[in-house]
Order: sequence, then structure tokens, then C-alpha cells
Amino acid sequence: MSIELDFGAILIEWPQLLKGVGWTLFLTLSSTVIGVSVGSFFSWIQWQKKSIGIHVVSLYVESIRNTPFIIQLFFIFFGLPSLGIKLSAEWASVVAMSINLGAYSTEIIRAGVEAIDRGQIEAAYTLALSRAQTFKRVILPQAYKKIWPSLVSQIIIVMLGSSVCGQVSTEELSYAANLIQSRNFRAFEAFIIAATIYLALCILLRSVLNRLGQRYLFGTRRG
Amino acid sequence: MSDKPLTSEIVIEAKGLKKFFGSKSVLKGIDLTVFQSEVVAIIGRSGSGKSTLLRCLNGLEAFQEGSVRINGAELKTNNAQTLRALRQQIGMIFQSFNLFPHLSVGENLMLAPHLVHKKTKNELSTQAINLLKRVGLEEKFHAFPDELSGGQQQRVAIARALAMGPSILLCDEITSALDPELVSEVLQVVESLAQEGMTLLMVTHEMNFAKKVSHRVIFMHEGRVHEEGSSIDLFTNPKTTELKQFLSSI
Repeated sequence: MSIELDFGAILIEWPQLLKGVGWTLFLTLSSTVIGVSVGSFFSWIQWQKKSIGIHVVSLYVESIRNTPFIIQLFFIFFGLPSLGIKLSAEWASVVAMSINLGAYSTEIIRAGVEAIDRGQIEAAYTLALSRAQTFKRVILPQAYKKIWPSLVSQIIIVMLGSSVCGQVSTEELSYAANLIQSRNFRAFEAFIIAATIYLALCILLRSVLNRLGQRYLFGTRRG
Repeated sequence: MSDKPLTSEIVIEAKGLKKFFGSKSVLKGIDLTVFQSEVVAIIGRSGSGKSTLLRCLNGLEAFQEGSVRINGAELKTNNAQTLRALRQQIGMIFQSFNLFPHLSVGENLMLAPHLVHKKTKNELSTQAINLLKRVGLEEKFHAFPDELSGGQQQRVAIARALAMGPSILLCDEITSALDPELVSEVLQVVESLAQEGMTLLMVTHEMNFAKKVSHRVIFMHEGRVHEEGSSIDLFTNPKTTELKQFLSSI
């Protein structure tokens, strides 16, 4: 058996692929911003140690972490319209990915918050900082620094997970690959190329995020 | 001991202070009065309640019985608003420095005044530089805490506390984590503050320093003020056997 490889047949569809890359990056970046904000906010709620807050947050975190992403996405895109909440495929994807990353990053950030030395908090309090100021200005920056590698990994996982969003017709990269191979039946080449692009995007994103961490979290000395 | 005359104004007043950790009684009824510009050293064995007493005075620890007044205002640990107002008058310096490692020295000094007093960046950086000059570290404005020695870090911590303009400073064993050769540079700063009239309440194991700088020494034993008096009296002529034992053990 011999395979005749024809990558050209795929690459000629580059506008579709480029559009896919664009959507994949957009979904990843927007859900990263929203998801990490959600995670930071919920770890603040947990830090308050009020029992109702802790229960609400853990209900959210556990229900997201213990259900498949595709079910969460389908629920938002196909399920919510029954309640009158109709989102476009793209917005449903952003919402699903943000909620998903929000849950995981809540757990990750919480671990960082718990690792902060008690003395830091006491120093902030004796300087008359409020609890909110203490959390935002003293605890959170140090927590990010501690958990940055885990958070970056989770963001990468969410980016790879965005490939599922093609199932609700968001035209991200895997949707593009699938579309192309359904036209020219070059599935082998189409998915090799999609995989290669995902690999490149991951390496790129990881290095950008690591660099951002170095720049803003790891005390890059000024001057 | 400084010759500065003391005013009669009371700045710290604790009455019948009792504190339990679970069922363990740590403070068993403390009465303490500190006057403006007074320098008071608290000595005693570990576990005698010295640090806990200090931490009750700025609300880091809640107490179960008794009352604390700072500059006349009652300390209520369950009222965040009044607690923050009170903490602006009473600074604290810790054994482990507790500088914010993610901020430069200058930012460490400016963070709290910026957030609490809402001062402008310009005012704050001038103030920060002046405070760093006072502790002899003006060239470290842009340095990060992990680039400094322990003694330097503690001097920055003192400057950071001063940036809030407190009238009282609590010092909780501030030289205990330092290498012996770095102790004196920190104590010099504290001594200069005492001479300038800052009210100081310090838990310390530096007996010579306590002898030299403080007006009054309090010996704590098992959660009580066991003996107190002027530093000369207390060190040269201890009355209770516990204090005699303590002084001979160090």
C-alpha cells in the first residue's frame, strides 16, 4: 500500500486555515482573559472564608471539573435556548471556554493564594490596607508568580480544547481542517497540517505567556 | 536611656486584657499604660505572651476580655473601618521583615500611603526617598528585597512603617532573625527614632539595648506582667525570683 501525499491540496485552502487559526487564537485569548479573571475573583471569594461563598464556588468548580467540556458547550449552545438564552456559535464557544478555564484557574490560583506567607498578610494589615487591597495588591501578584507555570499549562489545554468548538460550527482550526478534507477527501494531509499548526500555536503561546510572566511577575529588574 | 522628658499623655491603654488560644490562656489580665514618647521594652521567656500582647494592641489578634485604647480610641477587632483608622497611628515591625517581595524597595514604601492616603506618586516618591535617607538606604530605592541583607531589609521595613506616619511603633523581636553583625545597624535606627520622640513598644531579647534605650521595662511571665519598672531598677535590682532567674539565664 502506498500513500501519495499531496499537502498542496490542503495548503491551497489557506484562507480557510488562516481563518481557523484566527478563531482559535481569538477563542483562546478571550477565554484566557475572562477565565483567569473569573478564577481570580472566585479565589478572592474563597479567601474570605465565608461558608456560603465557599459552597457556591466549590459547586461551580466541581460541576465544571467533573463534566466533559463538550457537554458544557452543547448545554450552552443547544440547551440554553430553551430558557430563551440564544448565543451565536462563537459566543457560546467563548462562554463555554471561559467558564471551563474559570473553574480550573480558581483551583490553581487558590493553591497559590494559600501558599502566601501569613506574615505578608499581617504586614499589609498593619499598614492599614483593607482586605480587598491586601488580596489584590499583595497576595494575588505573589500567587500568580507561584502558579504561573500551572496556569500556562491550563491555558494551553483550553486552547487545544477549543478544537471541540467546531462541533457547534465555530470556524476554528479543526473545523477548517475538517471542512477542507470533506471537500477533497485528503483527510490524512489535512489533519497532519492541522496538528502541525496546533503544535506551533502551543509552542508560540507557551513562550509568549512565559515571557509575559518573566516580564510582569518575576520581578524583571528595571533599568 | 534618653533624657527626653515625657509628656503625661496616654497613647496606649490596655485594661484587663485576656486572650485564649482555644482553652489555653495566653494573656491572663494585662494592664498596660504607655505615655507619649515613652520607650517600653517587654522582656520574658518565649511563651510568656509578649508577642501576643503586642499583636493584641493593633488588632492582629482578637482578645476575649478587657479593652485597648489607642490615642483615646477604643480598639474593636470586629470593626474593619475603625481598625484601619487605628492602624494608621500604630506601625508594626516584624521579626521576619515581611517586605513585599514582588515590589521594589520604593514601591514597598509607597504602596500603603498610595492606597490608604491617596497621595500622588510625586509626593510619595519624595517621601520615600527621605525615609530611605533616614535609615541610610537611599541608594536602594530601585532594589528588590531579595537583593538586600537582612539588616537592610529590616531598615526598609522600618521606613515602610514610618511612611504611614504613625505615632507609635510596635517592634516584635526585630533583630532576632538577623546575623549578629547586622543587629547594631537596625538598633541604631530604632534608637534615633526614640530620640526623636517616637513612642516605642518593643519585645526584645537584646537586654543591653533595652537597658540603654528604654525608659521602662516590663517583664512578662506566664501571661502576666510579673514585674515592671525603670530599666535601671529592673536590671540591677530585680525583685522577683522569676526575673532573677530570667536575667541570669541570658
